[in-house]
Amino acid sequence: MSDREPRVVGFLCNWCSYAGADLAGTSRMQYPPNIRIIRVPCSGRVDPLLVIKAFERGADGVLVSGCHPGDCHYTQGNYYARRRLAILRDLLEFLGIERDRFRIEWVSAAEGQRFAQIVADFVKKLKELGPRR
Amino acid sequence: MIEEIRAKAADLLRSGEVKCFIGYERASDGLTARPFFAYSADEADRLIFDGTCVHNLARYLPDMRGKRVGILAKPCDSRSINVLIREGQVEREEVYIVGVVCDGVYRTTWGKPSRELQPRCLYCSKRTPVVYDYLVGQPPPAPESQHPASISEVEALERKPAAERWEFWRSHFARCIRCNACRQICPACYCPQCFSDQLDPLWTGIRIGLPQNWVWNVGRALHLAGRCIDCEECQRACPMGIPLAILNRKLASRVKELFGFEAGMDPRAPFPFATFEKEEEIL
Repeated sequence: MSDREPRVVGFLCNWCSYAGADLAGTSRMQYPPNIRIIRVPCSGRVDPLLVIKAFERGADGVLVSGCHPGDCHYTQGNYYARRRLAILRDLLEFLGIERDRFRIEWVSAAEGQRFAQIVADFVKKLKELGPRR
Repeated sequence: MIEEIRAKAADLLRSGEVKCFIGYERASDGLTARPFFAYSADEADRLIFDGTCVHNLARYLPDMRGKRVGILAKPCDSRSINVLIREGQVEREEVYIVGVVCDGVYRTTWGKPSRELQPRCLYCSKRTPVVYDYLVGQPPPAPESQHPASISEVEALERKPAAERWEFWRSHFARCIRCNACRQICPACYCPQCFSDQLDPLWTGIRIGLPQNWVWNVGRALHLAGRCIDCEECQRACPMGIPLAILNRKLASRVKELFGFEAGMDPRAPFPFATFEKEEEIL
């Protein structure tokens, strides 16, 4: 089991991060195929229950990504998301899910390179951590 | 103290100020207390108050909307009432709050008296209710905290490695029978439809197994972040002895650290998850 590839669920906001991932793809940047991307209208749409559900269904890591603070398409969605996800991350850590398994990143539509880098780093980290119990 | 409560309740009921007074009476085992709804001045004589009165009576207030009710409130109950007022579940004008100065309540179970304090009372910082119309008892001089807990269970768990924490919660959640007692007794759980009852999306799943129980217990705790006032009724009601209060306390302490917010202290303070600061280092 230890050589099983980690599975990552990525919740990307439609306006920045999804476009950033798209840019990484159209620019033919290589990044690990472990991530399964779910497009959401805004990072503020990411109900913490979605993340909990992803972990329940066996995700090794979850990435939530949205526009940089101040750049939200809906002006403030990511500010609300930031508060909710901050508390969620602490809760998950307290429950015994390592802090590195849940990442929150702000990626703009121009940061294709950065998105590829984030996913590569994340998957590398998850491989070090090994599969979830 | 009891006489004063009875007299006040009888007054309120006689004058028609309230239709119903919610308090405690002696349970049929002669030792413990149970919630009691007095509808007439005569019935007010059955009211009691002592260390066995553990229940959080604020649980009943949302069901009483539209009626003038009186309620007996310990400091923890009073914070619950504040939460309900802020969330629009209770109208302040509709409730007459008789606050009591509380020295802590006991770990009494049916037929078994005890003088040991409830764990929540060890962490409690309030002896006087935060909101009341009439106060019974003498407010203690500051500081109010009476039994500072030396090392909390939250900190003890935080110091363990992640694998042990996972194992700790796994072993507890695996025993959950999803009877929903924690939800039914919680004064902050009043949603007409709970996320765990929804079939589409099916958040928790039908089966009573570890993954489903995990989602339920984590989701429940998360929905109480910034709302739980640590009355610990969920833990007391849990037939499987799952230490839910540790989870609640952890979230409450993080909310306080990150956003400087304590549930139920001020009904006008904005809810931390319904507001934000543009510049804040919280991630």
